[in-house]
Amino acid sequence: MIPVTNKTLLTALTAACIVLAGCGGGGGPAAGPAVRELVVAIPADVETFNDYQSAGEAMENAIIDLLFPTLLEEQPDFAEHPPTFAPRLAESWEFSPSHLALTVKLRQDAVWSDGFRLTADDVRFTYQAQVSEAAGSTYIEQKAAIYRVDVVDSFTVRFTFRRVYPYQLMDANDGHIIPVHTWSAIPFEKWPTTDFTPGLVSCGPFRLVTHTPQQTIVLERDPRHWSPARLDRVVFRVLPDTASQIGQLLAGQVHLIPMVPPREVARLQASPDVRVVSLPSRLLGFLAWNNRRPALADRRVREALGLAINRQALVDTVYLGHAKVANGPVLSSMWACDRELPVLPHDPARAASLLREAGWADADGDGLVEQGGKPFELELLYPATNTMRAQMAVLIQSDLARVGVRVTPRPVEFAALMARQEAGEFDGVLAAWEEATKVDLASGWATPGESQGTGNFFGYSNPELDAVLQQVAAAPDLERTRVLLARAQRLIVADHPVAFLYEGRQAVALSRRLENATPNAAGVFFGMQGWELKAR
Amino acid sequence: MTRWIARRLGAGLVVIWVVATGTFALVSLAPGDFASRLADPRLPAAARERWRRDFGLDRPLPARYLSWLGSAVRGDLGISWQYRRPVTALLADALPPTLLLAGLGLLLETAGGLGIATLQVLRARSCLDRGLTLASLLAYALPAFTVALGLVWLFSYTLGWLPPSHLLSPAGELATGWARHRDVLAHAVLPVLTIGLTGMGALARYMRGSLVDEHTQGYVLAARARGCSRRRALLTHALPNALLPLITVLGLSLPFLVSGSLLVEVVFAWPGMGQLLYQAAQARDIPLLMGGTLLGAAAVVAGSALADLGVAWLDPRVRA
Repeated sequence: MIPVTNKTLLTALTAACIVLAGCGGGGGPAAGPAVRELVVAIPADVETFNDYQSAGEAMENAIIDLLFPTLLEEQPDFAEHPPTFAPRLAESWEFSPSHLALTVKLRQDAVWSDGFRLTADDVRFTYQAQVSEAAGSTYIEQKAAIYRVDVVDSFTVRFTFRRVYPYQLMDANDGHIIPVHTWSAIPFEKWPTTDFTPGLVSCGPFRLVTHTPQQTIVLERDPRHWSPARLDRVVFRVLPDTASQIGQLLAGQVHLIPMVPPREVARLQASPDVRVVSLPSRLLGFLAWNNRRPALADRRVREALGLAINRQALVDTVYLGHAKVANGPVLSSMWACDRELPVLPHDPARAASLLREAGWADADGDGLVEQGGKPFELELLYPATNTMRAQMAVLIQSDLARVGVRVTPRPVEFAALMARQEAGEFDGVLAAWEEATKVDLASGWATPGESQGTGNFFGYSNPELDAVLQQVAAAPDLERTRVLLARAQRLIVADHPVAFLYEGRQAVALSRRLENATPNAAGVFFGMQGWELKAR
Repeated sequence: MTRWIARRLGAGLVVIWVVATGTFALVSLAPGDFASRLADPRLPAAARERWRRDFGLDRPLPARYLSWLGSAVRGDLGISWQYRRPVTALLADALPPTLLLAGLGLLLETAGGLGIATLQVLRARSCLDRGLTLASLLAYALPAFTVALGLVWLFSYTLGWLPPSHLLSPAGELATGWARHRDVLAHAVLPVLTIGLTGMGALARYMRGSLVDEHTQGYVLAARARGCSRRRALLTHALPNALLPLITVLGLSLPFLVSGSLLVEVVFAWPGMGQLLYQAAQARDIPLLMGGTLLGAAAVVAGSALADLGVAWLDPRVRA
């Protein structure tokens, strides 16, 4: 028998390490890496490549966008006017004199990855899928103003609208074009439970090579694309852990992280191999008060709570400068934002005075304001996995304690939080939503039931606002829409249905080997066809 | 023996049914459902309702339960709502990486724990014994997350010896045969070390106590009196007896083998059962969650039965 000594043990451990290390052949790929292979770290896997099955997760949508084209490409120029569009699958487009019909000419060199030509039939089939209840599409209401889509000839398609409104082009363009010759073989009623990944036929600058669930999505350049990409392959590596994403970027094993937490930005900026691009994101963060609760139904109380929160300190502390204080329901980076809106200051004295005016006073001197003997207590919900909102909740708790309101922060698992929002079972929720360039205030601010959207889960209602929003919906031109949207914003801000907190910024970290990469407000992978990866 | 197996099998099936039914009820009654994922404020309530109808969530709970049970009994675990793939295929994809990771991790943990404990008893009250006690406590106290990040920092980012994450490299995914196996093994080293090192400490402490107890038993003294060396007495007499409780511990580790270690899987982006089921729970993907639950419950039943069989096989007193 071999005697077990310290020396033997150490030798065995060292040998094991050497043997195991030998298995790897280094930290990189087992075989030599392909030329011009971009590696992107993504926090979660893509669940579907079919836009019309998707729950709308941003990264999933961005990857779908590399595989399936839209008719037009939205440009990031929406600060002063609605976004303009560049040709993509559509070569040209023209409205009829009545503006009720839109004729789109498709490029004739667009070919699906299996060699079939992309035609007007694909566009019509896409519309049929978009408005199919059986397919489980989430686009039905969005496409409601489109009356029909007709094939004029193989490369010309006509959209007929029910009415004239400023967002007609946006609505016609929204959604990715899908292949009729393969997907029409699956009846729409089977779409909700069909996996479209095997044999995926695409028409983007890249095509799908492999998708290993929870691991990688490998795309390769489609040489048949009308504007072939310069990168040979794009590998999306699923890396749920942020520390692993950062570590691999610094080690050169990953070239792009689409969303870097603010606390990591300075560390990455210090690296000579990494550049960080800070983009205005479309995220609007707010604290939604339950307007149905008696204590919060009073506008003065909601205003007082808003005045008591030090929003600048919150943005500085939690976002470390990678966000700005939000002032209203439309992001300041959007064309429809009324930049003359009054700014809500941090004014605890005025907040206390408003609370007194509303009947909330600290009668027993315990530091809490009461009404009818009941102290003012609020439960503040936030998604359990969101550490930044957890920090925010604590800061807000401290701010509101100074005006005598006791806040109890409560982390809630996401699906449960959504259910509580839907059921109106909350006092306050730290929420955020992503705003579209098609500014639609009705979905978030119209009286529930008046709008088709589910944004107004907090039960806010203002009949005057509803009337303005109805006028917005019927406005035929942009100028009228802009004026009405400004009026709507003033009404909303004056009512304080929520406390507007922050407008997010998105920090994108890129390897310096990546050239021509232009992530912008229109998308992190914007113009990826032109991206290049320098050799080490 | 046949009656014992039949009785255990019957009891096992009841346990699996109770666990599955309880889980189905809990998940279905928990706030939120699969349609909660449609969080875009622009989406109408009608879109959520359509999803609920598409996935049968508009039907009463008993009808949904009976429908699921009927299919499960026939071996059809349904289609995952999240991934639109058969649940059996998803489980079949996720199980092997988990078995590999947890199996090798348990092996390392057991071998290491046993080795350390034996060494400690052989060198009882020496500096080595005290040092290993301290190291075991430290390994036990360190969170797996810290160990994982430390190992990645050392072996991947600093030395560049081993890959920091995933089951395969992009090139390895396209490889076949030995090249692919080699790539998997290289990727498994750090997560296996994490599981092994963090579990080893507790096991070493447990086994040391057990060995010390056995070492002072009469039969060991008798062996020593017959001229048996201290090492031989420990390894051939005390150790086999000390192993009996370990078999029960290992048997009950079988569910861990099946359900995976979520934390290690997340840090190393390992495509195992832990991540799959965690995501299913978050998404309220009931078919996938139920498939994982059935597998986990079956593993508990099988692990417990195997442990009993193992103990009975090794210990004549139990057989009697």
